[in-house]
Amino acid sequence: MASESKYLLELNDIEAGYGRAALVLRGLTVQVPPATVVCLVGPNGAGKSTVLKVASGMLAPRSGSIVVDGVDVTGTNSQHMLKHGLAHVLQGHSVFREMTVAENVLLGAFTIKDQKAIDERVAFVQNLFPIVGERWKQLAGLLSGGQQKQVEFARSLMVSPKVVLLDEPSMGLDPKTTAKVFEQVARMRDAGTAVLLVEQNARRALETADIGCVLDLGRVHISGPAPELLADPALGDLYLGGRPADSAHVGGSTAEPATKGR
Amino acid sequence: MRNVSERTASAALGPAVTETVVVVPDTPRRSRWPRLVSLALVVIGAALVLSFPFVAPNPYILSAGVVILNYAVLSTGWNFMGGFTGYISLGHAAYFGLGAYGTGLIVKYLQLPGFVAWVLAALLVVAVSIPVGIAALRVRGASFVIVSIAFVLILLLVFQSWREFTGGSEGLIVPRPFPDLMRPEHHRVFFYLFAALLAAALVAWWIIDRSKFGTALKSIREDEDKARSLGVPTTRFKLIAYVLSALVTALGGGLYALWFGDLDPIFQFSILVGSYMVLMALLGGVRHLFGPLLGALVVGIALEYFKLEFGDTQFHLVAAGLLLGVVVLFMPDGVIPAVRALIDRFRPQQTSIRDVTAAELLEQNRAAATSEPRAGASSDHRAGAAPDPHADADNREVVR
Repeated sequence: MASESKYLLELNDIEAGYGRAALVLRGLTVQVPPATVVCLVGPNGAGKSTVLKVASGMLAPRSGSIVVDGVDVTGTNSQHMLKHGLAHVLQGHSVFREMTVAENVLLGAFTIKDQKAIDERVAFVQNLFPIVGERWKQLAGLLSGGQQKQVEFARSLMVSPKVVLLDEPSMGLDPKTTAKVFEQVARMRDAGTAVLLVEQNARRALETADIGCVLDLGRVHISGPAPELLADPALGDLYLGGRPADSAHVGGSTAEPATKGR
Repeated sequence: MRNVSERTASAALGPAVTETVVVVPDTPRRSRWPRLVSLALVVIGAALVLSFPFVAPNPYILSAGVVILNYAVLSTGWNFMGGFTGYISLGHAAYFGLGAYGTGLIVKYLQLPGFVAWVLAALLVVAVSIPVGIAALRVRGASFVIVSIAFVLILLLVFQSWREFTGGSEGLIVPRPFPDLMRPEHHRVFFYLFAALLAAALVAWWIIDRSKFGTALKSIREDEDKARSLGVPTTRFKLIAYVLSALVTALGGGLYALWFGDLDPIFQFSILVGSYMVLMALLGGVRHLFGPLLGALVVGIALEYFKLEFGDTQFHLVAAGLLLGVVVLFMPDGVIPAVRALIDRFRPQQTSIRDVTAAELLEQNRAAATSEPRAGASSDHRAGAAPDPHADADNREVVR
């Protein structure tokens, strides 16, 4: 499925909303290149989770297009998008708690028929997430929150997705475990996967991400390399929840936001 | 990991280990019960069942054995749906009744041999269960329970009212397939027939339990939407499980008709029979191969005893209700998990689900304290932030 597009996931000019309520997304465009983590940050109600719902096919956009590796998948369902290489790790804990880690991970490969490919993939995710191999025969519900998150990542990687959508991976985790989870996100990226990340823990997420997009009022307000966004004090004040003491001196208060959005 | 065996952990270990440990008292993994022990138990159980007709002191006890095996077949049949997918059908008596009446009516009107009628009736029930399943499985949870009850009530009314065809409340006499056999012999033959049917159902359940299909069904039980998002064709799989379940139940019903020889709608299409199937499966443990069988043994014997003692009154129903209450209150996962949890109490415990043991954690903390004092405060958690318009509860984490 080689394509001319240099992006694995493109959301073009998306408008979307729930029921008859007002639009949540108003002309949003996000593009995710291969082996890149793009992080969406922004205040509550900006539409971050809605972006993932649209991207994963759970919510049909009213207009705009969704393109996965050059293939337009707008208007198809989640299962169809999975076939095109787009996996979604849901918010909160979404392992099957009363099934073993093995069953959880193998369910991720449900659509794959070739047993050899599955075995190879199992070896791959076990290598990427050692805890998955260690706890292979245990019930997933007995694992800690951070371990469960890793099982979820492993499950989503079983289909060799081109794009992984991550909704709030740090939710409910302590800072140390959060750091571990973001470490794993970086490893997925280094393995070639494009990651679209939504995170409340904005500063933490931008430290891992390559590109940051600040969402407000349903569109991308500002986007640019994540380190630049992090260093931008004006942005820090507006969207990242206050400024960190050290970067305030470095950037100065007159610095322009990194890149203006569309 | 380490020297702890794979098992439910329930103990927290002092203040250092603060993670919540969720106790799931159900870990049906091979490693806990050595294969040989399981095999030996199955062989002993089978030997006990097969020798029962020879040790039964009188025909009544033998016929009670047949009834209990029949319950075991029905409950195991119910468990194809209830156990794997978590869809609780209280109306499975519908398929018990259809299997029984189907067999009886085919024998009566088409003059076919009993066992040919039995197979034909089961196939007819499969044909009926497909559209019913498609309709009923559109809803989940309580709605599904109500739909399943509605179906059995409709059938009860139809079979009671359609007197010319079904015999109505006067009942339907089903000719015996072995007219030459004396009553005790008849019971004995049917005891083995029911045992064979039960064995076939158990083997089928066991195969599904370990298959990819079974894993997919269990994922539906836990979270249907999530299963669907992983590519599991949930609608189709639920229907297959439902039809299989109906088939086994119908085979049990048909065999009952041939054995008992007299059918009455009020008993064949009874909510009570459907509830017994659920009670037995719950009591034994719906996630276990032998759960429904064990439940049938306990409940079946109890019911027979209650009927014998209080048969003239409705008290046997009260007793059955009490039993259901006790099970739901004290053993919600069934007898098998409860007993296993009890046994596990006396075995070495896994104390923590953390990657490190408490001793290692102490060691790590000591090392950290000596090498980099106050390290944690330097980069990540700086206090003293300016108030921020967006700092609500959710991103308080990033306020520095």
